[in-house]
Amino acid sequence: MEISFSKNKISKLALQLEKKATIFIFCFLSSISIIFFYAYYINGLGLAYNDARSHLDIGRRVVEGLKPGLAQLGSVWLPLNHALMIPTIWNNWMWHSGLAGAVQSMISFVITGVVVYKFLEKLNVGLLARVFGVLVFILNLNVLYLQSTAMTELLLLSTMTAGCYYLVLWAKNDDLLSLIKSALFIMLSTLVRYDGWFLLFVTTAIVAFNVFRKKGYKQMEGKVILFVTLGVFGVALWFLWNLLIFNDPLYFALGPFSAHAQQSQLSEAGDLPTKFNLLLSLKIYVYALLYNSYTIPAILGVSGMVLFLLDKKIKREIRIASLSLIAPFGFNVLALFLGFSVLFVQGISGNSLFNVRYGVMLAPSIAIFIGYLVDKVKSLRIPLIGLASFIIFFAFVNQDAVTIDDARVGSSQKNVSEVSGWLSQNTSDKDGFVLISAASHDAIIFSSGLPMKKFIHEGTGLYWESATTAPDKWARWIVLRTYDDNDLTFRLIKDAPGFKRFELVDSYPFADIYQLKEEYLGNLNTKPVFSNQK
Amino acid sequence: MKNFLLILTVFISAIFLVAAIRGISGSPSVDDLNSITWKENGPFELSPERGRFALTYSLVEERSLNFSTALARFVTPDLGYWDGKYVSLFAPAVSFLVIPGYLLGKFIGISQVGSFFIISLFAIANFILIVKISETLGANNRASVLAGLIFLFATPSFAYAINLYQHHISTFLILLCSFLLIKKDKSWLQLLIVWFLITFSLVVDYPNFFLMFPLGLAALIKVLKFRQTTKIYKISFKFSSLLSLSSAFLPLILFGIFNFYSYGSPYRLSGTIASVSSIDSGGEPIFPLDIKETFGNDFQGKGESALGFFRTRNIVNGLYVHLLSPDRGVAIFSPVILFGILGIYFLHKNKFTVLFLSIVVMNIILYSMWGDPWGGWAFGSRYLIPGYAIMSIFISIALTKLSKNKTLLIFFSLLLTYSIAVNTLGAITTSTNPPKIQAIPLQDVTGKIERYSYDRNWEYLNTFGSKSYVFREYVSSYINARSYYFVLTTLISGLSLGIIPLLYLSKTK
Repeated sequence: MEISFSKNKISKLALQLEKKATIFIFCFLSSISIIFFYAYYINGLGLAYNDARSHLDIGRRVVEGLKPGLAQLGSVWLPLNHALMIPTIWNNWMWHSGLAGAVQSMISFVITGVVVYKFLEKLNVGLLARVFGVLVFILNLNVLYLQSTAMTELLLLSTMTAGCYYLVLWAKNDDLLSLIKSALFIMLSTLVRYDGWFLLFVTTAIVAFNVFRKKGYKQMEGKVILFVTLGVFGVALWFLWNLLIFNDPLYFALGPFSAHAQQSQLSEAGDLPTKFNLLLSLKIYVYALLYNSYTIPAILGVSGMVLFLLDKKIKREIRIASLSLIAPFGFNVLALFLGFSVLFVQGISGNSLFNVRYGVMLAPSIAIFIGYLVDKVKSLRIPLIGLASFIIFFAFVNQDAVTIDDARVGSSQKNVSEVSGWLSQNTSDKDGFVLISAASHDAIIFSSGLPMKKFIHEGTGLYWESATTAPDKWARWIVLRTYDDNDLTFRLIKDAPGFKRFELVDSYPFADIYQLKEEYLGNLNTKPVFSNQK
Repeated sequence: MKNFLLILTVFISAIFLVAAIRGISGSPSVDDLNSITWKENGPFELSPERGRFALTYSLVEERSLNFSTALARFVTPDLGYWDGKYVSLFAPAVSFLVIPGYLLGKFIGISQVGSFFIISLFAIANFILIVKISETLGANNRASVLAGLIFLFATPSFAYAINLYQHHISTFLILLCSFLLIKKDKSWLQLLIVWFLITFSLVVDYPNFFLMFPLGLAALIKVLKFRQTTKIYKISFKFSSLLSLSSAFLPLILFGIFNFYSYGSPYRLSGTIASVSSIDSGGEPIFPLDIKETFGNDFQGKGESALGFFRTRNIVNGLYVHLLSPDRGVAIFSPVILFGILGIYFLHKNKFTVLFLSIVVMNIILYSMWGDPWGGWAFGSRYLIPGYAIMSIFISIALTKLSKNKTLLIFFSLLLTYSIAVNTLGAITTSTNPPKIQAIPLQDVTGKIERYSYDRNWEYLNTFGSKSYVFREYVSSYINARSYYFVLTTLISGLSLGIIPLLYLSKTK
């Protein structure tokens, strides 16, 4: 028996496919993105991360609350993620479903997939390997999960990968527009997470090196200034923001809610073993990376990278520019080593998982380098694809996603349903405010389902100052961790005479709930009286 | 000369295997089997051997696929329970295949040795197949024979060629399929056998499905013919080749029948039924605690499906355990096998390299994902036995190419001697080496240093002697176990190293 195919028709079909590939990938990725968001929304995992709920609350406070406004963007996290929520977070469903935050992750997921494809295209990688690279990126449950949540990872990945892509394009074609685009995306990434700041530093060094090697100092000076002017714009804005809102340009770095302050507490408690331990920092991050990538793709990615860097057929400038793809590795190891970051991998450091999602930061880089490897090693093309597919098959069959485990049972989760359930049941139909520290209990605020204006928290200005001075006049309920000075509410009201007028009504693992005694309700203020405060 | 060397080495190797085969005199009754003489101190030291032998025993002596209570006690803790009956948790083919050996052994009063001998025969067959495949791929005859010896005696496969494990049978099926597929002459009969072997391998050990996958693809490519002219691509196939696929159903049908009578459904695999940890005095099963309830979701236990045993997150640890760890690592137990990497380099242009490499990689990755990469208490990395066989083939290529490189041959000889010494030690003593993670806490219980590498076997040799049937029955009155070990190691090393000068003197192509 025999089946024949016309070569001509097949090549025409391939050509058509190649022409429309970007659109096809865009549509395919969009569908995948929606399907997975829906799946994680239905099973309730989309909001499992404590941080996801906090991100959504920050966005919500900008548009609703006792003191709405841009100042609510705060200083704990960089603002782009929350700023992008503003157009949709006003809607209660968008807020509580998490979609207001997830939609940016979803769009970022699609963009990153397309950028991976375009990146490989610019490296003259064939269609099969390009598509395979995209598949390696998207067929990762960690990526698919994070794109379904209001976390910052995917937004960071898309801006960083796009920044690297245009940098490589600039290295290839030496056109200024690509350099400016690269600076623009890297600037955006600096407004998502501090990983972007490190990328800015690395890419600036790459630009300087490439231009200096080829054109000398003068040209280098000009290009670096051009690149940095736009690239550093976000960083400068952030300093300015902190100066204007908190009267300290370094408030984000050294303030009481900064990562530095949190890490100092951990360090004092002996829970920051990576600090000044390079080997452990390296080991922990490598484990996080391997767990997030299912190990074998990471190994293949490294092989592809080595092959790529040794490929003399590719312009040296391009190879050097592509090093920006591995900047997240350097950043994370350095951050762990310097004690700026904390990451627990069960069995190596800590008895639980925490922040293990940082390992996903190299997912696009792995995909790009695997795509390159598959294209380059023709004789092993099918086995390599088979091997990666084999691993991915098992990852899907066994639902292996370390990021979900971190969110469900690791230290990144916080099951506050009991406290928030109590608040929802007992306060929604009654007048009065809830005094609570958003820094400690944002997840409770979110999960209660109550409107933001029901809560007096650190960002409510005069309400907060008044309520922490005389709680019995301003708060009908107080949520705090009794005897824990890290809880700002407790620290401020523990000695206030008004606090004695509250009775403990319930106690839960994450917080205690106090209610103002009936006899003092007469003096309680239940209306938002400081509506004009700035 | 070619066949003479092969025949001679096969003959001598068979003698070495017989010299190492585990066992004690007598054909045990079901009551004997439950005694310490036959279990911990005897040939059935670990549950995989007990589980398979019990099914053989049950089939022959009790004419049943289920276990009597006494036999079930012998099998614990790898015992299944279905519909009020005790059943085997293992894929059944090994137990069926060793029946002739059991009967023959019983005839001369050593049923268990007879059963084990069948495995040794498969090991010998693997030796021959390695030689034949190596030669087909272009290796020198002497290098090929040496590669066969390396597989047999310089890897942990030695320790599993003299007792009742599935690994040598799985390896045999992989090698035979490979051999048939790389042979130049093509016939539908070859494909018929290949498809049969592929599905039969599942009845030997379920994970063989994945190890056989590259071979299945290669067979499929053989069925289909791709051609192209200037204008068209053609895919053609012969009807008879396609018909050869039908042979794949026979083992599956037999397997379905076994499953039906054992577990109530042709589709139910033994690995998915309830396991029994022990049996109470009244003969009732005691099931393991619900571990997930006890330890919460952090526990990565038995999955709900057969595929649930393989988890991608285990790969990092699994790779370490299989390749580098002191308790199981190839680098510690059989460093000579790493020479195969050179062979992969030399053979990288051959069209079959990808096939063989795929099997090795699949083998390593599959068992790195396995929840228990150590293979329970075991000697070396037993799961990698098919991989050792393929790597031995690559070694034959490397030796052929580098046969004139004296420095390399000296270095190779040293590693070979070391590997033979380590694995002979494992073969004639015990496979009850705990993984490090169990050995360390075990020290608190036993109050003594619990070793977990091959030093445990050395300790065993000096304390308890050897488990070799020949040693126990015929030699122990003349020499002690240590001397027996030295003699055996010297003879095996002598045979293997003796081929190296022949290799050096052989003509290069």
